[in-house]
Amino acid sequence: MKIRKILFVTKFEQLNFDDLRTLLNLRKADLTNVVFMNVIEREKVAMHRGRGYEKEEEIRLRETANIRFIDWAETLFEEGMEVGVYIVVGHLVPEVIKAAEKEKADLIVIGRSSKGLLERFYSGSDVTELIRRASIPVLVYKDRADSPGGKWIPFKRPLLATDWSPASMKALNYLESLDKVLEKVDVIHVASDKDLKGSSAMEVQKTRKQVRQKLEAICERLEAAGIRARAHVYVGEAVEEIEKAAEECESTMIVMGSSAKPSWIERWLGSVPLAIAEKSIYPTLIVPPDK
Amino acid sequence: MSKKVLIVDDDPDVRLFTKTVIEELGYEPIEADNGEDGQKRLQENPPDLIILDVLMPRQSGIRLYRVIKTDKKFKNIPVLILSGIAKKSFLRSQKALAEFGDVEVPEPDAYLEKPVDPDQLAEVVKSLLG
Repeated sequence: MKIRKILFVTKFEQLNFDDLRTLLNLRKADLTNVVFMNVIEREKVAMHRGRGYEKEEEIRLRETANIRFIDWAETLFEEGMEVGVYIVVGHLVPEVIKAAEKEKADLIVIGRSSKGLLERFYSGSDVTELIRRASIPVLVYKDRADSPGGKWIPFKRPLLATDWSPASMKALNYLESLDKVLEKVDVIHVASDKDLKGSSAMEVQKTRKQVRQKLEAICERLEAAGIRARAHVYVGEAVEEIEKAAEECESTMIVMGSSAKPSWIERWLGSVPLAIAEKSIYPTLIVPPDK
Repeated sequence: MSKKVLIVDDDPDVRLFTKTVIEELGYEPIEADNGEDGQKRLQENPPDLIILDVLMPRQSGIRLYRVIKTDKKFKNIPVLILSGIAKKSFLRSQKALAEFGDVEVPEPDAYLEKPVDPDQLAEVVKSLLG
């Protein structure tokens, strides 16, 4: 699994060229191609009573996006990269999915501010829906809340949160191909209190040891690929503990496999990857299972 | 038989504008809306002139230009780049690609930055088609 082509979905307000720059260390691996995408929401130019279809507004929005993309593209072209562009009117999620398929992209990047509802780039439901429907990994990019104007460099020290699911193992494959880019990977599993319930301390320690051994096996795979890796076992509520681990490990991104559960079950029971993508202050890379 | 001009541009308004100029000059336009489609049309029906945009989905004009200029069947077809991307950036990108190990390609036969005046476009097309 290699990241050759990124689909960079932006509304310009916050997810900007500077943010894209933080992903360009992927060029040390296989990245050669960036495709910019701006989706003009249909509601902005839709038929309004008395005004009809607002063609002029559509042209204005298209050209505004075009001017920005030309500027960004010139910079990347001059660095020897291949660049493409999509400016479309429609609904975000289906348009992004369609463009990702047409372009055979390896990664979708979309912004999501961790600052609060009013400052969010895309609504939670759009990002959540995109993660649910995408058949390729989605990086939910976040601003650094701890340092205004500061930037994460996501592909530097990722935290891989694993539950051994097929999607988690796919996420591991994804990271393995990035040996020229990653400094270190911290691998974590969060055991629930229930998992550690036993009749004796010995039994609890046995469970911990088993989890640790499985994590060490993952670390060995990463080390064999030339990436420094360290295993950690945390106990408690998954979303909180993953966030805590990211902070303690000074991670630059959280990586998880997405759930293979049907979406109605996820809506009912909740999903750790979706909650992390939604709430975490860290950029979050969600890798889907094979479909 | 009239000469054929392949127009590769993702913007339908620009394609319509260019097509109108080409038809008024008495040439036959062939249209493609992205680089991949442009390459397909080029192979199916080699034109006498290619008018090429740069920033497009599914293969940029930078790549398609390299395909044209490194294929002995097509390298002598004149290419007019018609783009919002500055000529300087286009030339730098070709230089950067050559530095990354790709072959060097010649400069395009003509370069016009959008938006372009119809008379100016017609003039350049006529001069390239002799």
